[in-house]
Amino acid sequence: MDLFLQRIFDGLSNGATYALLAMALVMIFKATTLINFAQGEFAMFGGFIVLVLATEQGIPMWGAVVLGMLISAVLAAVIERTLIRPFDPADHLPLVIITLGLFLAINAIAGIVWRFDPRAFPELFPSGKAFNIAGATLSWYTIFTLITILVVAGGLTLLLNKTKIGLAFRAVSSNLESSELAGIKVGPTLQFGWAIAAAVGTLGVAVFVASPFRQLEPQVMVTGLIFAVSAAALGGLDSLGGAILGGLAIGLVQSIAVPYLGVPTELSLLAAVVVLLLVLLFKPSGLFGTPQVERV
Amino acid sequence: MTSRVLDVKNLHAGYGPIAVLHGLDFHVSEGEIVVILGANGAGKTTTLRAVSGMIERTGSIELRGNSIAATKAPDIVRAGVAHVPQGRGTLPELSVEDNLRVGAYIRNDNEVNADIDQWFEVYPVLGQRRDQRAGSLSGGEQQMLAVARALMSRPSLLLLDEPSLGLAPIIVSELFARFAEINRDLGTTMLVVEQNAQLALGIADRGYVIESGEMFAEGPADQLINDDSIRRAYLGV
Amino acid sequence: MGKFQLTKGTSAYTIYKWAGIVLLLLIVFIAAFAFNDTGKISVLDNDYKIGLTRITKAISFMVAILGLQVVAGFTGQLSLGQGFFFGTGAYMSAYLVADHQWPWFLTLVVVVPACFVMGLLFGIPALKIKGLYLALVTLGLAAIFPSLILLDVLEPYTNGAAGKIVDSDLLPPEWMPLDGISTGLQRIPLVGRYFGDGDLSNKQEQRIWTFFLMAILAAICFKMVSNLVSSRPGRAIRAVRDNETSAAVNGIGLSYHKTMSFGVASALGGVGGMIYVAELGIASQGDFTQLLSILFIVGLVVGGVGTLSGAVIGGLVIAFVPEWASSTQNLPGVPERWLDGPTGGFILGIGLIVLTFVLPGGIISGVRKLKARVVQVLPAPIPLPEAASVET
Repeated sequence: MDLFLQRIFDGLSNGATYALLAMALVMIFKATTLINFAQGEFAMFGGFIVLVLATEQGIPMWGAVVLGMLISAVLAAVIERTLIRPFDPADHLPLVIITLGLFLAINAIAGIVWRFDPRAFPELFPSGKAFNIAGATLSWYTIFTLITILVVAGGLTLLLNKTKIGLAFRAVSSNLESSELAGIKVGPTLQFGWAIAAAVGTLGVAVFVASPFRQLEPQVMVTGLIFAVSAAALGGLDSLGGAILGGLAIGLVQSIAVPYLGVPTELSLLAAVVVLLLVLLFKPSGLFGTPQVERV
Repeated sequence: MTSRVLDVKNLHAGYGPIAVLHGLDFHVSEGEIVVILGANGAGKTTTLRAVSGMIERTGSIELRGNSIAATKAPDIVRAGVAHVPQGRGTLPELSVEDNLRVGAYIRNDNEVNADIDQWFEVYPVLGQRRDQRAGSLSGGEQQMLAVARALMSRPSLLLLDEPSLGLAPIIVSELFARFAEINRDLGTTMLVVEQNAQLALGIADRGYVIESGEMFAEGPADQLINDDSIRRAYLGV
Repeated sequence: MGKFQLTKGTSAYTIYKWAGIVLLLLIVFIAAFAFNDTGKISVLDNDYKIGLTRITKAISFMVAILGLQVVAGFTGQLSLGQGFFFGTGAYMSAYLVADHQWPWFLTLVVVVPACFVMGLLFGIPALKIKGLYLALVTLGLAAIFPSLILLDVLEPYTNGAAGKIVDSDLLPPEWMPLDGISTGLQRIPLVGRYFGDGDLSNKQEQRIWTFFLMAILAAICFKMVSNLVSSRPGRAIRAVRDNETSAAVNGIGLSYHKTMSFGVASALGGVGGMIYVAELGIASQGDFTQLLSILFIVGLVVGGVGTLSGAVIGGLVIAFVPEWASSTQNLPGVPERWLDGPTGGFILGIGLIVLTFVLPGGIISGVRKLKARVVQVLPAPIPLPEAASVET
C-alpha cells in the first residue's frame, strides 16, 4: 500500500510537467490546429534562460522564473511573427516542417551555447518531505508542482475568460473568418497564443528540473515532448483542463502501471505512445476535446 | 439625393487565378436597404467579401467618401461595416453572450453590457440561452445571433450574405421582418445578398441583379419585382 | 524558355535521356575509385572528408528518404517514424548475418516483408488518423525504438546497449578486376593522381565493392518506385494526396492505397537500414533515435517532396552536412567554442526553415528551374496517357 501511494505521488509530480507542456501545446493547437513540434525545445531553452538569470545574474529564483517566462514569451512572439505567420494557417505541411526546423535549430543552439553537460538547477521549492501518509512520503516538491499547475490553470482560465485578448483568442479558435469580420486581428491574436504557450512551457521545464533528482541539459525535453503530446491528445488537444488531467494520467501510468506490469523503465515512453495510439484510434477527440467534423 | 454610404466602381475580384467579378458599379445610400440578386455563382458572395476586405480586390470602394479598397478586413469593421457571412457567422464554441462580446470587440465604450441586455430583450430566446454554446442553437436562432453580433459593433452599414440559406420559410419571413425593423428603428443601412428575390425585394428600397460577375439590371425594388424578364429569371414565376 | 527544345519520343530526346544516365553512371564509377580512401577537400584549414564509406551511408539514407517520398510525397501524409523501420531493418540484417551467417543480400528476404508488414500494421491506424495525428503517432514510434532495443527479451538478439557487431564483409569476387581498373585510372594523364597510388588494399576493394552493390540496390529501389508512381496504383495514390474525397468518389480504395503506401515506405526504410549496417558493421540503438526520423524529413524536404531525385540530394545532405559541420574547426569570426558544438543540427534546422521560405520545392525544384532555362522537354505530339505527369 505504502509503495502504491508513493508511486501515485511520484506519478503526480512527473505528470505536472507533462501537464504544463501539454497546456502549452493545447494553447497553440486550439487556435491553429497545429502541433508545435518545437514546443519542448522552446521550453528547454526557456529553462536555460532561467538558469542563467538565476546563477549568472544573481536574480532570486522566482524572479528569474518570471523573467525567463517573459523572455521566452517575447522570443516565441518574434518566431511566430517571422517564421509562422507568413504561411497559410490551413496548410499544415510547411508549418510542421518549420517547427521541425526550429526543433533542430533550438536544440543545436542550446548545445552550442550551453553544452550537453547536465547542470544542477537552483532550488525552486522547499526541499525534503512534507508529510508521511501511510508510510509514503509526500514531498514538498510534489505538493508545490501540483499547486503550480493549479495556479497556471486558474491564471489561464482568467486570462482567456476575463480579458479582451482572451476573448479574441477564443473567438479565433472557434471561427477564424467570423473573428476577422468582428474586427479581430488574427495574426497578433495567434502570436499571443504562442507567447503564452512558451511562457507556460518554460515554467513546466523549470518545475521539472527543480526536482532534486533531475538536471537541466539540452536533451531534457526530447522525450518529454512525446509524453506531453500523449497527455494533450488524451485530454483532447483543444482542452486545457483535459491537458492537465491527461498530463497527470500519463504521469500515473508511467509510475504505477509500468512497474506493476513488470515493464522495464525504458518502456514508460512506450506506455505513453500506446496511450496516444489508443486514444487516437478509438477516440480521436480525446476525453475532453471538441469532436472535429470534416466537411466534405 | 441622400448621401452615399457605400460607393463602388469598377470592382474586380476573384479567388487566386479565377476572376469572379468583372467590374461592378453599385452604391448604397444612407438608410437604404439594397439587395443584390443573382443566380448561384453569379458573384454575390464574392461582392460582399470584396467590400469587407476578405479577399483581394481592385477598383474603387468608398465608404462615406473614404477609400477602403486597400483596407484589411479588421480595419473595415472599425470603419463601420459589419458583415454577416454566409452560413451562420457565429462562433459555435463560445457562449451566446461571448458571441455578442466578440461583436463589440472593436468598441471601447462602457455601454457594451447595456447593449447586450437590450439584445436579450429584443430576442428573449438569446437571453434565455446566454450561457449556452452558440453551436447548440437552432439555425434560425444562430442567424439572429449572427445579426445581433454584427450589430454589436454599431455599424453604419450592415452586409448580409444569404441570411435565408437553410432556414424554414416561416423563420425566413420572420427574420426579414426583423431586418426591416432594425433598418427602421436603428436606421442601419443594409446591403443584402439573396437568392430569395421575392422576400428580399419586399423589404428593399433598391436592387441590383448580377450575372456572371457583371451588372445585369438595377432599379427600385418595386420596379424590379414587376419587371418581366427578371421575374422569369429570378423570381420563378 | 529553354535554349534547346526536345520532344519526347524523338531520337534527340532518347539521346538526351541516355546521356544523362551514362553521365550518372560515370560519376558513380569515378567516385568509387577516386574516393575509395578518404578523399577530402580543404577549405580555410578545415578538412572535409568525402570517403566512400560516407557515400555508401548516404545511399542508405537515400533509400529511406525514397520511402518517405512514397508516403509523404505521393499520399500527402507525413510520417516521422521512418527511423523506426530503418533501425528495424538494420538490426534484423545484423542479427541474421552475425548470428546465422546469412549473406547480406539474402537478409532482404526477411527484412523487406517484415518491415512491409509492420508498415501495414501502422498504416491501418493511419487510415483513421489524419495529418498531424499521424505525425504524432509516428514520432512516438520513432522515439521508442532505442528503448525497445534495450528490452531484456530482445537482448539476446540485439546485444542491448553495446550494439550488434557484424564482421561479415562484402568481398568482391575473384574475377572482378577492381585492381586493374584502379591502375588504369591512375595512368590517365593529369587526373590520374586523384585515383590514389598503387594497388588497392583488401579494405579498399571491399569498400568499392560494397558501394557498387549498394548503389545498384538503391538504383533498383528507385526504379521500382518510379514504376510504381507511373503505374495505375501510383496514380491512384497521388489522387489520394490531391483530394481524398474526390479520389473516393472516383472509386479509388483509399484505405487500401494508403496502407499499401505505408507498407512500401516501411519496407524501403528497412532496406536503407540494411545498407547502413552493412557499411558500418555495427547496429547501435543510439543511431536510431527520433532525431534520425527528423533528419529523414529534413532530407525529404531539402531534396524536394514528391520527387525521386530529391531523395538522392536529401540523402547526401543529411549524410554529409552534419559531419562537415563538425569538421569545421576554423571559421573567421566564429568562436572556436561554438564550432565545437552541434553545428550540424543548427545548419540543418536553419536550412530547413530557409528552404521552406525560399524554395518550397526543395533543391531539386531549383535545379529544375535552372535546367529549364537551357533544355526544354516538350511532350510527345500524340498524348500518351502515362507521359503526362511522370515525375522522376
